[in-house]
Amino acid sequence: MSAVLTVDSISRAFGGVYAVRDVGLTVAAGETRGVIGPNGAGKSTLFNLISGHLAADHGTIRYRPNGEERRIDRLSAHARARLGIAIVFQSARLFHGMTALENVMVGAHARTRHGFLAAALRLPRHRREEAGIKADALAALDRVGLRDWAGRPADALPLGQQRSLQLARALCAQPHLLLLDEPASGLRAGEREALAQLIESLRADGLTMMLIEHDVTFVSRLADRVSVLDLGRLIAEGTPEQVRADASVVAAYLGRETTGAAGWEATG
Amino acid sequence: MSHLLRSPGTLAALVVAAVAAAMPVLLPPSQVPVYVLLLLAAIVVTGLSLLMGYGGQVSLGQASFYMIGGYSAALLAVHGLPTWVALLAAPVIATAAAALIGVPLLRLRGHHLAFATLAVQLILLSLAGRQEWAGGDIGLQGIPQLEVAGYEFADDVSYAYLALAALAVVVLIARNVVDSRPGRGLRALATSEVAAESSGVPVAGYKLAVFSLSAGFAGLAGGVYAFFIGYVAPGSFPVLLSFEYVVMVVVGGTGTIWGALAGATVITLLLQLLNNIGTMEGMPAAAPSVLSYAVYGLLLVLAMLFMPQGLVRGLAFSSRLEVRWGTWKTISSRSAKRRRSSA
Repeated sequence: MSAVLTVDSISRAFGGVYAVRDVGLTVAAGETRGVIGPNGAGKSTLFNLISGHLAADHGTIRYRPNGEERRIDRLSAHARARLGIAIVFQSARLFHGMTALENVMVGAHARTRHGFLAAALRLPRHRREEAGIKADALAALDRVGLRDWAGRPADALPLGQQRSLQLARALCAQPHLLLLDEPASGLRAGEREALAQLIESLRADGLTMMLIEHDVTFVSRLADRVSVLDLGRLIAEGTPEQVRADASVVAAYLGRETTGAAGWEATG
Repeated sequence: MSHLLRSPGTLAALVVAAVAAAMPVLLPPSQVPVYVLLLLAAIVVTGLSLLMGYGGQVSLGQASFYMIGGYSAALLAVHGLPTWVALLAAPVIATAAAALIGVPLLRLRGHHLAFATLAVQLILLSLAGRQEWAGGDIGLQGIPQLEVAGYEFADDVSYAYLALAALAVVVLIARNVVDSRPGRGLRALATSEVAAESSGVPVAGYKLAVFSLSAGFAGLAGGVYAFFIGYVAPGSFPVLLSFEYVVMVVVGGTGTIWGALAGATVITLLLQLLNNIGTMEGMPAAAPSVLSYAVYGLLLVLAMLFMPQGLVRGLAFSSRLEVRWGTWKTISSRSAKRRRSSA
C-alpha cells in the first residue's frame, strides 16, 4: 500500500526543550495509526506539526492524498486543510453563536470555493454549492448521531456531544487524513463504544486516520499499527501486540508514571 | 406573497422598509437632512457591525473610510468626471485603500488594532489638511450636483431616497454574506482562529476581506455625503465620528444587522436632542461636544453593563418576541466571555 503521510526526522522545540525530536513515521493509505505515550510525550505537538498549527524546526512532511506526493511542511494550516487533512482537537473548539448545523457546515470550507462576491450577489452557483454543503453537513451530523441537534445552538450541547460535533465538522470536510486527538477522553462508557464503532465504520470506508489515545485497550481494538512516543522521541512502532511486548514501551510507562501503568492494563 | 407575510421577521422588515420609504415626505423639510445623515450612518454601521460582530475585529477609525469615500467622490467630480462615476468610485477606492492598509494593520489584534485604525484616521486628517490638491484645511468646495442618467439630485428628499437605496443595497449584501460560506468562516474565526484555520478558513484573508467590505460600505456613504453637503473638509470627518459609529454598533448590538440600523437611529436622534440642548441660550460654546463625548462614554458603559447583547436582542428578549432561552444563553455567555477577554 502507498503511504499517505511520510514524516521524516521532524523536530520541534519550545524554549530549548524538545517536544518532538527526530520523529519519523509513515502512515499507509487506509491505515488507522494509534499514537500513544505518557503525558508530555509530544503526541499533540506531532499532530499540530502535521496539521500545520505549528511549524517544524527541522524535518519534512510529505503527503500523498491520491497519486501525487508533495511536501506540506511549509504550508499554512488552512492550505493543508484544503489538501484534505482534518483534525479533531482534544478540547472542544466549537464556534459560538452558531447552530450545530452551521458549525458542521464550516468544515466544508476545505473543499468548497465560493467567496464574498459570489455570496454577496447570491449567484446561482453559490446557491447550488450551499445546498450541497447543507446536505453533506446533515449527513455528517447523522453519522455522529446528532441529526436532531442540527438547528440548536452548538453551545447548548453536552460535552460529549460537543466532541461528536467536532468530529462531524471534520467529516464534512471529507478528508483524506483524519487526526483524532484523544477523542474518547472524558466520554462515558456508552459514548466510548459509539465512538469506537464510528471509527471502525470510517476505517471500513477506507479513511486514513491517526488516533492519539491514553487507553491502550481502546487503541489496540482500533489501530492497525501503533507508534509510541516518549519525551518527544519515537521509541517503538508496530502492531498493537508487538508494541505491548516491547520492553522499552513497558519501561516508559512503568518507569515514570504509575497512572500510565494503570491505564496500560485498564480495559476501556 | 402570503407565505412571506406569515413570518414575523419578514413582516417586520416590510413595515420598517415602508416607514423608512415614507419618512422623507412625512418629515418636516428642515428635518430631512438629519434623516439623510442617519441613513448614511446606518450604512457605515452595518459594515462596522459586520467587522466587529461577525469578524471579531475592532475599528476605531471607521470614519477614515467614510472620509476616503467622500474625498474620492469630491476630487473626481471636481476634476470633471461624470458625477455618477465619482459616486461609484468612492466605495471602490475605499475598499482598495482598506485592502492595502489592512495587510500590515490586521496583524494586530484587539486594542492594538483599534488604536492602529484610530491612528490611520489621525494621519489621514493631518495629511488632507496639508495637501493643496485636497483643498487643505478649507477642504474641497464646489462639488457639482450629482446627476444619474439625466436626473439631477437637487433637493434633500432626493438624497434621502438615494441614501435609502444605498442602505438597502448594503443591508442586502451584508445579509447575504452573513448567511453564506464566507460568512460562516468569518463567524467561526471570531470564536476560534485555530479551529477555523483547521477547517480550511484562510483567517488572514477573511479578516482582510471583511475589513475591506466594511470600508467599502463606509466609502459609499462618504460618496453620497460629499454630493449631499457639496463640500468636504478634514473637519467633516472628526475622530468623534468614528467613536459615534462604534457606540451605534454597541448600543444596537454587535453581530446583528437590525441592531446596526436601530443603533444608528437611536444615537442620531439622541445626538440631535443633545445638540438642541447644547446650543440653547446660555450654554457655553463647548457644550455640544462636551455633552456628546460624555454621553458616548456613558452609553458605552451602560450598554455593556445592562444590555451587552444590544438593543435589538435585549428588547426582543424582554418582550419574548424572538429569542428562545437557548439562544439567549449562547449570546449572553458569548458577550460575557468577550467582556472578560477585553477587560
